[in-house]
Amino acid sequence: MSSSGASSGSHGIPRTLTACIIVLLLTSACVPSSSRGTFILLPDDNGKTGAILVSDKEGERFLTEPRQAVRVAPGTPPGKPFVMSEKEVLATVGPALEALPKPPVSFLLYFKHDSTELTEESLAMVRDVVRTIRERPPVDISVVGHSDTIGDRPYNYRLSLKRAQAIAALLVAEGVDPSILEITSHGKDNPLVPTGDQVHEPRNRRVEVTVR
Amino acid sequence: MHKRFVVVLLLVGSVLTPGLSAAAQETIGVVRNSAGTATVTRGEQVLPAAAGTKLEAGDLLNTGSDGSLGVILRDHSTLSLGPGSRLILRSFAFSPVEGKFGLFFHLSRGTLSYLSGLIGKLAPESARFETPVASIGIRGTRFAMKVDE
Repeated sequence: MSSSGASSGSHGIPRTLTACIIVLLLTSACVPSSSRGTFILLPDDNGKTGAILVSDKEGERFLTEPRQAVRVAPGTPPGKPFVMSEKEVLATVGPALEALPKPPVSFLLYFKHDSTELTEESLAMVRDVVRTIRERPPVDISVVGHSDTIGDRPYNYRLSLKRAQAIAALLVAEGVDPSILEITSHGKDNPLVPTGDQVHEPRNRRVEVTVR
Repeated sequence: MHKRFVVVLLLVGSVLTPGLSAAAQETIGVVRNSAGTATVTRGEQVLPAAAGTKLEAGDLLNTGSDGSLGVILRDHSTLSLGPGSRLILRSFAFSPVEGKFGLFFHLSRGTLSYLSGLIGKLAPESARFETPVASIGIRGTRFAMKVDE
């Protein structure tokens, strides 16, 4: 950890050191000499592997293979990528991987035109939402109302808010704690299916419920 | 005249939709799970990183030698820290309506894993992790990293 060994004993040092610390705070340009990094690309739960770009001032490495890893020491380009064994992945980052939460689950509930009444299919889906909430005691549920582009913005903002509030009321009636509900309205501004203005689009008349 | 109307609309919008405006105190994520010593430092305040704790840009997450924590961010990405870790949530933006996306976090020590979410789908080039030795650009899904001091 300590790297105070290299003294060349001049008045300049404390000032340089101070400058270095300031630069470190501003840009992380002064790398602590003993820091080392290991970067590992991993497949997700569906077995899909994306890609990461690991770069420093000296160079960059593009990782695209499952469990491909690269080590980086300060002041040198990232090392040659290699494939890590599953065992080594767990030995390196196991506890972090174990703490990774399951991704949130989202539901889209659709409404009849100019109404806070759910379509038949979506009314049936409310049961799935409630089941998910029971299976996964959530810390936070966001309920976001949307409309299609018929009508002006303030009107659709209010309509979408009423839609979100209607769904929130349904969830509270099912025993969900109101304090974990975050209710917002996006009105006509965030269509699922982009359309021009003043267009009927049932797929945009929706509330998105996200269970976190 | 027209301009004034737009300004009024924007003002009304920012009052009515706290979830949309890019205010400094906006919630960017929530702690989903934690174990052992895990804290959130916000300015002078040090809060326990209990499940349900809402996170803001600028927050510093710390775990002790027995600690870990898991976070769900607003774009549905997930992130976790293993023991002995220190992560600063420098900035985060997720507003598809305004076309604003960004994730910039700094891990100065410890271990982290991350599973990308909607920012990864909509604007992958805007997500970046920094460490003292290298910076990570994310082109999708899951990765992990370890920084030894």
